[in-house]
Amino acid sequence: MNLWNLLRYISMKHLRLQKAQIFMAVAGICLGVTAIVSIGVVNRSVIFSFQDSFNRMIGNAALQITGAQSGFPESIIEKVQDVRGVQYAVPVIETDGMLVDGKERSMLILGVDVLVDTQVRDYSLTGESADVPDPILFLAKPDSILITKAMADREGFAIDQKIQVQTVEGIRTFRIRGLLNPEGPAKAMGGNVAVMDIYAAQMAFGKTGRIDRIDVSLRKGENLETVRQAIMDALPKGYMVDTPAGRTRQVENMIAKFQNGFDFISYLAILVGMYLIYNAVSISVVHRRKEIGILRAIGCRRKEIMLLFMGETLMISVIASSLGVALGLLLANSLVGAFGKVISETFVRTSVTGIHVTWLYPAIGLLCGMITSLIAALFPAMSSSRISPASAIRSVPYTEDKIFTTLRLNLGGVFFIALSFLLFHIYGFSGPYLLAAQIMLAVGISFFTPAFLNGFVTLFNRVFASRLGSAGRLAGLNLRKNLTRNAVAVAAVFFGISVFVASSGYVHSVKGTTLNWLDSIIKSEIILSSGHPGSSTNAQIIPLPANMSRELEKVPGVLAAAPWRRAFTDYQGSKVLLSASDYTQYPKRSHDGAGPGFMKNQTHFIPDGNRVEISEAFAAIFSVKKGDEISLPTPAGPVVFKVAGIVVDYSYDSGVINMDIKTYQRYWGDMLCNSFLVHVEAGAKVGDVRDEIQRRFGVDRKLYVLSALEFKNEIRKMLDDMFIFNYALNVITLTIACLGIIVALFASVLERTREIGTLRAIGMLRRQIYGVVVLESVLMGLAGGSLGSVAGIISGWLNLEGFFVASLGSAKYYLPFGAILWALLLSAGLSALAGMIPARRAAKTNIVEALAYD
Amino acid sequence: MIQVRNVSKTYLQGKQEIQALHNISFGMEKGEFVSIMGPSGSGKSTLLNLIGGIDQPSAGEIFIDGSPLHGISDDELTLIRRRKVGFIFQFFNLLPILTAEENVGLPLLLDGVPFSRIKEKACRLLENVGLGLRTDHRPEQLSGGEMQRVAIARALITDPAVLLADEPTGNLDSHISEEILELLKNLNQAGQTIVMVTHDARAASFGKRIIRLKDGGITEDVSVPGCDV
Ligand SMILES: Nc1ncnc2c1ncn2[C@@H]1O[C@H](COP(=O)(O)OP(=O)(O)OP(=O)(O)O)[C@@H](O)[C@H]1O
Ligand SMILES: [Mg+2]
Repeated sequence: MNLWNLLRYISMKHLRLQKAQIFMAVAGICLGVTAIVSIGVVNRSVIFSFQDSFNRMIGNAALQITGAQSGFPESIIEKVQDVRGVQYAVPVIETDGMLVDGKERSMLILGVDVLVDTQVRDYSLTGESADVPDPILFLAKPDSILITKAMADREGFAIDQKIQVQTVEGIRTFRIRGLLNPEGPAKAMGGNVAVMDIYAAQMAFGKTGRIDRIDVSLRKGENLETVRQAIMDALPKGYMVDTPAGRTRQVENMIAKFQNGFDFISYLAILVGMYLIYNAVSISVVHRRKEIGILRAIGCRRKEIMLLFMGETLMISVIASSLGVALGLLLANSLVGAFGKVISETFVRTSVTGIHVTWLYPAIGLLCGMITSLIAALFPAMSSSRISPASAIRSVPYTEDKIFTTLRLNLGGVFFIALSFLLFHIYGFSGPYLLAAQIMLAVGISFFTPAFLNGFVTLFNRVFASRLGSAGRLAGLNLRKNLTRNAVAVAAVFFGISVFVASSGYVHSVKGTTLNWLDSIIKSEIILSSGHPGSSTNAQIIPLPANMSRELEKVPGVLAAAPWRRAFTDYQGSKVLLSASDYTQYPKRSHDGAGPGFMKNQTHFIPDGNRVEISEAFAAIFSVKKGDEISLPTPAGPVVFKVAGIVVDYSYDSGVINMDIKTYQRYWGDMLCNSFLVHVEAGAKVGDVRDEIQRRFGVDRKLYVLSALEFKNEIRKMLDDMFIFNYALNVITLTIACLGIIVALFASVLERTREIGTLRAIGMLRRQIYGVVVLESVLMGLAGGSLGSVAGIISGWLNLEGFFVASLGSAKYYLPFGAILWALLLSAGLSALAGMIPARRAAKTNIVEALAYD
Repeated sequence: MIQVRNVSKTYLQGKQEIQALHNISFGMEKGEFVSIMGPSGSGKSTLLNLIGGIDQPSAGEIFIDGSPLHGISDDELTLIRRRKVGFIFQFFNLLPILTAEENVGLPLLLDGVPFSRIKEKACRLLENVGLGLRTDHRPEQLSGGEMQRVAIARALITDPAVLLADEPTGNLDSHISEEILELLKNLNQAGQTIVMVTHDARAASFGKRIIRLKDGGITEDVSVPGCDV
């Protein structure tokens, strides 16, 4: 095949000779692929680790019965056991515990009925435990605990050693009775698992008489669906009877919603990479015009020329994509920990120990890298095949018709923008379509960059150029000379900056809105909790007994201490968050009459009135209005509540229900709380009160006692962690944009060798040449930066509406002024930096060589 | 061997029409060595490009070795260039990235022949033009005269029906020019058909026949004195 000859004898040599340009193109695609692969793999790993832990925990049970997070009465077990077809109905307590000694590692404590649990789950103990006749029976002693071999090795624990664990009842001492081999549940959560007897666990974790879950195994030959239905019929409403797969799917969907945004932004990075490839290939076509002419003259067909460039691009993209996959895996490996922590703190208990790589994301990365490169190369390759053989003969080519005339580009821009509006019109603010619409919009705007750059340069020439002397005039002229190519570099900057501004605007608004909301609901001076203070949901919290408020109020300086319980419950098949606090006693005693989690003067919470407030998200998802009645499942059966108001509450996107804690305790029988909101007396010093609380309660239990300010800082930090990918993506897209500028300027410097030589010959200083090139770069950067800022502001607002407002409730859009300033500084600064490389090259131009005939 | 019948060529430069060739006809036999002369802008290069299939006429017909160059697709035209025509240009037009032998072998590489099978012939041709020791040099390591010899070897590798040269000595000093012209003359004596465009009357005298162009038309078509046609 003669294409093979072409690639081997022409392309390979070019690749070897034009290392710098090729490097940029490779880097561009490589980074795009890195973004796609790393984000995909991290997302996949988090979900995988969740599924894996979940499946290990559930063993070989066929069904799982869950109720409200508060737990449900033990009597339910018998009802389930009596259902036909059920073989074993095994009760489980699943709760968080915290190792107090050493590194304060949190772990999952599984409270099980040792007599029957082995029917569902596989445990085995290590050899060292074997001298005990039947270690499982030892669990009947309430201080017995089994930990995993992995944890023992890590923490340096041995059999019979005593360890201290934070429980609801305070810090308790347990004795290690055996070590679990790494199999079954012992391998879940990265080995941070301990097993106790269910009775002891109920006592220690405030669940006396109640259980969290029942795992059910079926008799042989029974139909899963029939048994499931039978169990549902046997139980009061509000219990979920689900297959393990069904349960994981719910959580997966929840995590996926959070991750989707990142997934799409990563594709934007590769889009920016496309502009780079487009430019690199078109530049290479221009430089090799003569070569192409010669090849055509001595008998190379059009198709072959085109295939030549496509083949080169393919080679480059294969290398770049493979590198990108490797880099992506590395990046994923280093980000997965932080991201797993965020998921664990905000959504669901997981312990992501490493990346889980399937062929899927590397394959997607490779394909995306290759396909986008080929698409980007298609147009310049097509134009290469139009070069006439006569170009070989003339050194200055006659003008040929371009594929991308400004008119066609503008039409293309209009087309994409119209497409974006159409998508928006049809699908509104719904997730994936919104992102697609945004990408179309950005692509559309980018088609106008030649026109915009032209205007920008005109403005520059009129207003500033004269003040910058000959350098200014030359820079302006040069930018115009290769308008399209420079515009492509501008477009790359435009993308980078618009992603940067959009994500900053989004993050800024989410942070501002959330913190503002916290300000409005947290009226107390001190927040006290036993786990991660930012955890709004269930993860990593060891609840406290609600009646601890009485002792707290005995602390001098404490005016009132309101327990705040946040627990999940089921509502119409999905999980919603119940948020309960003291809305009756506490406001009376606080300074301004406002309750915790509660705006001023809202008095519709009457303890006996069965009234609730719902979040905007809840109202939207379940179409509930003020004054409606909703039926909530309680462990004792459904209870009807009246909706007294709809409030802003961002803590959970599937809906939040606020109620008084007395009401909650009465119906759910749950006497625990996640935290206390502590009001300090008028004259008392917050710091002193805080220290006193820590002194009195800190011996017995590990507590986070934070001032309102510290609490908000914790939340801020958590939000920052949540957006870690945004930051990583910003860096990636901006880097690609810089590469875009370097590529474009390098090309124009090379093309101008002769001109620069002439300028030098007639007396232009090296640093003047240098200045011209850097100035061109800065102008391109600023053009892209300003256009990108505008687009970014719009798209940040769209994101806020589409991803935050649509799922969590109304929010204010905070214009990211800081980010815009940064964007302009960055686009000028980075482009100046990027321009320095080609500028050095230009300044070094050897006059004699430049003027000699090539 | 070559038939040119009523050929015209107009270029569109913007809105302006440029008549580069105007109703030209002539014929050539196998083994001829024709020099085309004329002032700058008279259409010499245009004519040569038409004969070589680099460009297509606006009107008229051209046949080379029996095949028509008009009314065929670009691909077919390209294959004629590849297999039947050898080009020598004023500025050599070697690919700077290839070595001398690779440049020479390029037309066959385009035809999909592996280089291992081309190498021997390429080296032999280089030897014939006096560059047997320069096969691995790249164009930048060669002098102008040497580069033109490489270009001649390249033009010959496909054993073309006709060798077309556009001012092959235009960029070389008189001493080197002489050698190149001598080389062409020897090739012609071995039976190679050659068409050469030149400004230089001395260069033209190496051929057997001279066609003069002016303003896109033939003004004279004569045999070189002392040559038996
Ligand atoms: N691709 C083209 N587009 C437009 N005009 C062209 C093109 N090629 C040639 N011409 C014009 O056609 C005319 C003849 O050009 P040509 O190159 O054939 O002249 P020439 O005789 O070879 O001149 P010289 O001796 O200077 O090489 C000129 O006026 C030239 O400007
Ligand atoms: Mg000419």
